[in-house]
Parts: sequence; structure tokens; C-alpha cells
Amino acid sequence: MLSSHNINVALIGNPNVGKTSVFNQLTGLNQQVGNYPGITVEKKIGFCKLPNNYKANILDLPGTYSLNASSIDENVVIELLLNKNDKLYPDVALVVTDVENLKRNLLLFTQIKDLEIPTILVINMADRMEYKGISLDIPFLEEKLKTKIALVSSRKGTGIEELKQLIVNYKSIPKEPCLNASVIDEEYFEALRKTFPNQLLYKLWLVITQDVNFLNLDRNEIRNSYTKSHSDLKRLQQKETIKRYQFINDVLKEGLKIDLNSAKDFRAILDRVLTHKVWGYAIFFFILFGIFQSIFEWSKIPMDFIDNTFASFSVMANENLAPGVLTNLIAQGIIPGIGGILIFIPQIAFLFMFISILEESGYMSRVVFLMDKIMRKFGLSGKSIVPLISGTACAIPAIMATRNIENWKERLITILVTPFTTCSARLPVYAIIIALVIPEKRVFGIINMQGLTLMLLYLLGFGMAIFSAYILNKILKIKGKTYFIVEMPNYKLPMFKNVAINVIEKTKAFIFGAGKIILAISIVLWFLASYGPGEKFKNAEKIVIEKNLAKPLNHSELQNAIASQKLENSYIGLMGKTIEPAISPLGYDWKIGVAIISSFAAREVFVGTLATIYSVGDSDNDNTIKNRMQAEINPETGQKIFNFASGISLLLFYAFAMQCASTIAITKKETNSWKWPLGQLIFMSGLAYLVALIAFQILK
Amino acid sequence: MIQEILAFGILILAIAFLIKKYFWKKKSDKNCGDDDCGCA
Repeated sequence: MLSSHNINVALIGNPNVGKTSVFNQLTGLNQQVGNYPGITVEKKIGFCKLPNNYKANILDLPGTYSLNASSIDENVVIELLLNKNDKLYPDVALVVTDVENLKRNLLLFTQIKDLEIPTILVINMADRMEYKGISLDIPFLEEKLKTKIALVSSRKGTGIEELKQLIVNYKSIPKEPCLNASVIDEEYFEALRKTFPNQLLYKLWLVITQDVNFLNLDRNEIRNSYTKSHSDLKRLQQKETIKRYQFINDVLKEGLKIDLNSAKDFRAILDRVLTHKVWGYAIFFFILFGIFQSIFEWSKIPMDFIDNTFASFSVMANENLAPGVLTNLIAQGIIPGIGGILIFIPQIAFLFMFISILEESGYMSRVVFLMDKIMRKFGLSGKSIVPLISGTACAIPAIMATRNIENWKERLITILVTPFTTCSARLPVYAIIIALVIPEKRVFGIINMQGLTLMLLYLLGFGMAIFSAYILNKILKIKGKTYFIVEMPNYKLPMFKNVAINVIEKTKAFIFGAGKIILAISIVLWFLASYGPGEKFKNAEKIVIEKNLAKPLNHSELQNAIASQKLENSYIGLMGKTIEPAISPLGYDWKIGVAIISSFAAREVFVGTLATIYSVGDSDNDNTIKNRMQAEINPETGQKIFNFASGISLLLFYAFAMQCASTIAITKKETNSWKWPLGQLIFMSGLAYLVALIAFQILK
Repeated sequence: MIQEILAFGILILAIAFLIKKYFWKKKSDKNCGDDDCGCA
């Protein structure tokens, strides 16, 4: 656990250098994921046992190219490194670099060294050195860079023990900078040094040049003392960067050798195929197709198992607990509520396993590059791809990820269209409706219709996002252009450990994030469904018996009829009946209406709500959620409630509707206005209603 | 009677959790660092 007696280690590095892999190697599953206070930048802390009974708190900082902050992620790194009072202020910094990109990665290293923090240079992906014909003169590099070097391969786990030993001995690592960057304007820096003798020179320079006001220095005081124009400061920053690269070039000229004759590089060939203007898209489509087929195929058995297990838990609760309100709440509210969360674990785990494999292998960057060509035609920034793709997990971090889009209007459009991307919260809704209304058959013997429908829904969401962006682009008249730079990491075989940790984290986030909300709403709904005003609820049994005097019902039929009468006249029944006229043209009954209202908090609540409502309205506790939904009959038409027409209508409704209070909140926060989230809500809800209405009216 | 007390206790906890989750947000005093982005 986090302890002040442990060595604080900050893991810093450029994106795509395998920093998280090093973190995973050092900490295993001893990780805590949270947020930095007040912002939603992910904070990962792990714990590591070191030789000689030492222990370390390892902080995995967001990837950054330099200490010249241009995003909130980078600010996090700088704020921590400048604030000695922070309880996570590092005793030692590990700057992780990629052996194939040492030149670029060392820029950040030289900047960290200027902060006079003991710094270990971790050169990762050492297993590729022979393959790429790279050799390093480690003693020479250690001497010039004034550091200790750990040559590791986080993929193969080599060099990790040596790295741990270096962390233990961190006090022996020199703190002094490896170059004197102040020569770019000696007079200016000398004056600064004299005025603030107790402050670190490079720290002063960062405070002066960054947009963010750091915690423990008065920027205005410094700026007022040493006024330089904005353009002069920018020029000095450029000179500083050039100076650092000159130093790095000189060091690497001696310390790094590349023998091109022994390099065996398939990357260029693979890149040509995977980013090809025809084959690139075909391969991407094929991969996507395979993923969605597998999600449905592989999830079926574990999902059925979870569904049946929870149905039997309800029976057990009813049989073994004393009859009463609490027992009913447990059997009909809490157990189906939890079941409604856990049933989706297999699909969510498989989805993130595939996404993680694509990211780990380096293929995702090629997809981003490939899609950029399409996006530009619709007026979006190439940088919009990242939020749109990460929106498949959740719109909230995806909207946060728009912060690296410099042009405000492009950023605004991306924020407004990102919620169309199919997030993981839609997955439970899609999964259950598809299972109910799309036949489980194969076309041409291989194409699973259910998997194909799921894929089409993902493409529909993405297509609508791009189409809306096109319309918004025309309306908002974007001025100016931004340029898109994407880094193409090397292809790698995905590491099982990284994929597994990512899947566990994402599944945990779903269960404990959305799960708590679903459970709480299930409990409230159970009460609303189990109590009601007026005589029709109180005298439900009497009314049902009187109604059926002519044709007496058997015990089971009578119990079902009473449960149904009570549910219809419960608080939730009355609420549902009130909105029924508005939703019946879409093919929904009042129960679905209640589920739509309650799922406004979070989409995945939809299934949990129906599970609770059907549990209360069904005397047979042995039924699964799916069976209950399948058995629902419209008393007026005699047709199944979840038929093909109403099912497609529901799928389309959820594909387009906003239905997420948290997304509205984050849009408000990011745009600093209610105008945009309210516009987004009205547009998406209106579109969802219209499309669902048309679909039902055509298909019924 | 005990069952009712416990059940309503659970209901109150669930409502309190939802209120805390949706209506009781901590305010952030940070912005993204871009002067023109529109966020406060």
C-alpha cells in the first residue's frame, strides 16, 4: 500500500515507449487506478517489492513528449515534478525510452535531469536491438548523460531485476543536469538566478513559459521582474530545444551504432499493406467483422451460465429466507439487479481484449492514420479520430481526449458528435435485444446474424457521428486548419499481461462504476414497483378474483394475474402508463417506457430495470431475464412485446439517443455552457425518436 | 417489522447514493491550459 516509508518512483516517458508495460512488470496486479484531484486524468499507482526488503510506490505518469505542456495530461507531469510538497513527489524518476527512438525520447530525459531529481534512464525494447542492428555503449552513455541505465525488455521481462536494484541504490545517482541549457541567453538566466537564488533555474523557466500556473511559485512576480515578449519566450524555447538536440546528437554519435546491413525490417512492407487505400480498409473491415462475430459466439455460454445462476439465486433466496419485504427486495430487486450487471462481463471483457490487442500490436495507430483520410472529407480534424475510437469504451474520457485539438470549433464538433460512437454502455442493451429479436442462425454457414447486427450498429453509430460532423461543419463554418501527426509505433506481439490487466481494469470499472448505479436504481425501482397508491393496488387480489369468477384460475395463473394487477397500479406502473401514449407509436409498452426513463442515468440501466420490473410482475422466480423478456405479450395485440419491429426500433433508439447524464455533465464542463449539451440532448433524443418511429411503422 | 426497517434502510442508502452521484459534484478549479478553448 501507499506508504511514506516506501521509495517514490515516477515513471515518465513519451507515448508508445512501453511505459505501461514496464509499470506492469514492476507492479503486477498491485495497482490502484484513480483520478488526479479535480481532473479526470487517470492516475495509476502500483506497489513494488525491491531487493533488500525495500518497497516502492510506482506512479505511472501520463505519456508526454517534453516538459513544454500543451495538454492537461502533460500539466499533471510537470505539476508533480515541480511540487516537492506533493506526497508523491519522486525520490527517483525512471525515464522510459524506446531503443529505436532514443534521439527523440532523450529530449524529455534531459529536461527531467534539469529538475535535479535522481533519474534512471530505462532503455526499453532491448530485445529488438539485434533485430534492428543496434548496439549501445552503455558506460559512455552513462557518463555523458550523468545517469544509470537499465536496459530492459518489458515484453520478455529481462532487465527488470537490474532496474529494481538501481531503484534501491537511487541515492548514488548524480542529480546534476547533463547539459547547461541556460547558455541560450546567459544574461537573462543569470539575472533570474540572482533574483531567485533559492529556486531551481529550470523550474523558474518552466513557470515562466508554461500556460499553467504551478502550485508554489508566483508566476506574475517572476514575469513582472523579467518581462520578455511572448514571441521572445517562444524563440528562447526553440533555442533550448535545439541546444538539447545538439547535445543528444553528439552523445548518440558515439554511444549508439546502427548496422543497417544486419537489420531485418518487415515494418515498411506491413505498413504499405495495412495503410493501403483499398487493402487497408478491407483488412480493417475484416478484423472488425471477426471481432463482433467472436464477441457473440464466445460470450453465449458464460452469459447463459450467469443468467441461470442468478435466476436460481432468486429461488434460493425465496425458499430459504423468512417471507417478508426484505426477502422480496433481495429476490426480486437486488439479485436480478446484480445479475443484470454481471451478465455483460463476458461481452465487455472480450470487446476490451480485442481493443487492447489492436492497441498493443501497433495496429490501432494504422487505423487512426487510415481513417484520417476519410475524416478530413467530412471536415473533422485528424485528431478527432482518437476521441471517436476511444468513445467505443466510454464517451466521457473520449470527450476529455478532445483537449488536444487546438482549433476550438473542430474540438466543439468532436465533443458534440462523439456520443454517437457506440460506447460499452450500449453493449448490454444491444446484446439482450439482439438475442431476443435476431435469429441465431448463420448465413453462408459462417456469418452469425447476431454478430453481424452488432457490427452494423457500431458502424451506424460511427457513420452518424461523421454525418453529424459534416452538418455541423457546414453550420458552424470552421476557420483555420489543424495538422494531424500520429506516431506509428513498431509492430509487436501483444503482451498477455498487458492485455489481461487492461481487460481486468475495464471490467472492474464497469462493475464498480456503472454497477453501483444500476444496483441503486434497481432497489429504488423495486420499491416503486412494489408499492402503489389507491384501491386498485391495495385490493389487487380481490379485483382479480372478482374479474375471473366466471372462469376460475389455477394457483399459478392467479398469482401471476395478481402480480400483474399490482405492477400496473404501482407507482412505477402509473408513471409508465402516463408516458405510454408517447412511446406506443414506437412499439413500446409502459414497462419499456419506464426502462427508457430510468436508463437516462446510464444506458446499461435499461436491462436491469426490465429485469426488476419483470421479476416483480412474475411469480415464477426461476425465470431468466431473457426468458421473461421473451415471454412478454402485448395484451391488446396478443403479439410478443419484443418482436422484430419493436426490437429494431429499440436498437435504433439506443443507437442515437443521448441517454447518459454523465455525458451531458462532461459536455457542459468542457464547453462551459449549457447551450451545447442541451442542444446535443434535444438533437440526439429527437433523432432517436424519429428513426425508431419510422423503423417500427415500416416493420410492424 | 425488522424486514421492513432493513428494506427501507437499504432504499434510503440507494437514494442517498444516487443523489450524491448526480447532484453532489465536487467543483474543479482547473482548466485545460488552453486560453481559447472555452473551458473555465
